[in-house]
Amino acid sequence: MNDTKTFDWKEWLLSYSLYIILGFLIVLVVVVDDTFLSWGNFSNIMSQASTRGILALGVAGMIVYTGTDLSAGRILGASAAVSASLLQSVTYGARMYPSITEPIPMIVPLILSILVGMFFTTINAFGFAVLKMHPFIISLGTQLIAYGTLCLYIDSQAGGAQPLANLDARYISFVNGYFDLGFTKLPYLVIYLAICAVVMWVIWNKTVLGKNMFAIGGNPEAAAVSGVNVTRNIFGVYLIAGVLYGIAAFLEAGRVQSVTTNTGLNYDLDAISGCVIGGVSFTGGVGTIPGVILGVVILQTINYSLYYLGINAYLQYIIKGLIIIMAVAIDVRKYIKKK
Amino acid sequence: MKTHMIKRVMVALALTVAAVTIGSQAHAGQPRIGVLIYRYDDTYISTVRNALSRALEGRSNVTMQDGKGDQAAQNDQLDVMIARQVDGLLVNMVDAQAASGVLTKIKNAGIPVVFFNREPDLNVLKTYDKAIFVGTNAADAGKMQGDIIRNLWTNHPEYDLNKDGKFQYVMFQGEPDNPEAIARTEWSVKQAIENGIQMDQIGQTFVCNWDTALAQGAMESALAANEGKIELVIANNDSMAMGAVAALSNVGYNLEGGSKYVPVVGVDATEQAVDAINRGIMSATVKQDGEAMGQALANIILNMVDGKAPLDGTDYQYDESGIAVRIPYSPYEGK
Repeated sequence: MNDTKTFDWKEWLLSYSLYIILGFLIVLVVVVDDTFLSWGNFSNIMSQASTRGILALGVAGMIVYTGTDLSAGRILGASAAVSASLLQSVTYGARMYPSITEPIPMIVPLILSILVGMFFTTINAFGFAVLKMHPFIISLGTQLIAYGTLCLYIDSQAGGAQPLANLDARYISFVNGYFDLGFTKLPYLVIYLAICAVVMWVIWNKTVLGKNMFAIGGNPEAAAVSGVNVTRNIFGVYLIAGVLYGIAAFLEAGRVQSVTTNTGLNYDLDAISGCVIGGVSFTGGVGTIPGVILGVVILQTINYSLYYLGINAYLQYIIKGLIIIMAVAIDVRKYIKKK
Repeated sequence: MKTHMIKRVMVALALTVAAVTIGSQAHAGQPRIGVLIYRYDDTYISTVRNALSRALEGRSNVTMQDGKGDQAAQNDQLDVMIARQVDGLLVNMVDAQAASGVLTKIKNAGIPVVFFNREPDLNVLKTYDKAIFVGTNAADAGKMQGDIIRNLWTNHPEYDLNKDGKFQYVMFQGEPDNPEAIARTEWSVKQAIENGIQMDQIGQTFVCNWDTALAQGAMESALAANEGKIELVIANNDSMAMGAVAALSNVGYNLEGGSKYVPVVGVDATEQAVDAINRGIMSATVKQDGEAMGQALANIILNMVDGKAPLDGTDYQYDESGIAVRIPYSPYEGK
């Protein structure tokens, strides 16, 4: 595009708009309150962004298909309930499974949590790929099914519906632990997010599944004509999303240390906002893993700094809404140009 | 051109944020108190919140956050307050069972804390010497409703529509897994039975998340199925009671000066409910004294921040647990 050797600053501005927005936000907050720039705050923001980030990595693939997933939050709730119920402290009298008297290996609830996530995303994939429903509609239905399942599960405890809390100490430290780097803490959560992001980057960029996903998102007919098995690709992407939901749920239950019927409410919207801020386009076929992570971090930075500045709770919604619109409006420009 | 516009938007935004923040920067030197509220738009908690703000004004620098009914959001807000190094914390848990994790964070930061309204396991709180609880005794509100039900029954024989000697009631519960809601549902009926009233529930308990619109919808369907058979409405809070009243009035009951009436009993004594009771379209409520709660919280946390005994110079007393203060309820049955 750049035939001339001169530096096209407009082009540069557009391609790095996300980083500029993030930088601008931070500068803005620091101007108002200079105590904001600290490693402690940085590590807090990163660990708060972690579970949402993992969820967003799953949702992003569906947005690449021009779809979306409204059920991610409730699926996370259902998976989190499974994790938490199996990892309640064995000395807690009112635990869900009194028959568990010895702590079970943590891998078991993690796998079950992932299976629950995969079960629900399979329903979504079936609706989308086989029944040809719009993902918005099928996931609206799945959202209710997942919520109902979560409520039934929580209500099935001997003592009636009670939050699933009093978790095993091993589990809490596995999730909330950190490496002390001296000048700051490196929370395990951030490492888990990084691992998921790297794996997803490889899937998106280095595998046939990922490449076909972008082809289908860009133009499903063309992809089908050129021999891509669309149905199989959709199931693949949704199953991977289910795995990510399960991991996010397992970590979120340990992070909040209690699971209720409210767990996961609106997490899908946060994940979608993160993806969209991060440049995953609703028109399909466009998006990158670093973009998703950056989008989620930007969203969490907004959240965190609004809390940090002690801004009126209701104004927070308005400011957040404005920033999301602005970020996306700027980011959208670069794709308009490319088309 | 475009970048000009973007710049302008950014400057405007910067000014908004700056303007909004200046207000909260005042009162340097006073103790900084962080307040975490489970949900801003809860009627009763709003009363507490306003009373608390007034009581703390001029004595401290307050930052308050809305947990939006989401424990994960509240955890995030707590992280920020700890990073902010507040001097004292007032915490209204979204999910009281998550208190052990919250308490660990606060304990590691060494900040004095008062939990209020939603009651965490007191044995958990006892693990930190700078933590106490201020609240009500959940069962008491239910028991008081049970006493109100006895009064209604004995003073108004006409409420027994089918003359079977039993009070046919419908029940509205707050949330399925909220201990406060469960206790109110349980004890209102238990206490009425202990008072010698025969209670007979119609249908399942309606779980309406403390919400007026949900309760109205549920009451409408209950009326469609059982109109003329419902003799009493018991609700865990006034918001749901008001929803039931609205549904009743839509089918000609509980109108001012009307002839048909079904007694409705709530909890909280919100302005709206007190007005409805005074106008004769609702029967009674149980008052949670939000003003007293707000005052108590302010006095106690400032004592703790100053390193004094929490109840120093106040009239409050600990209950048998030794770390919890109970603000009493009182019935409200009209002027």
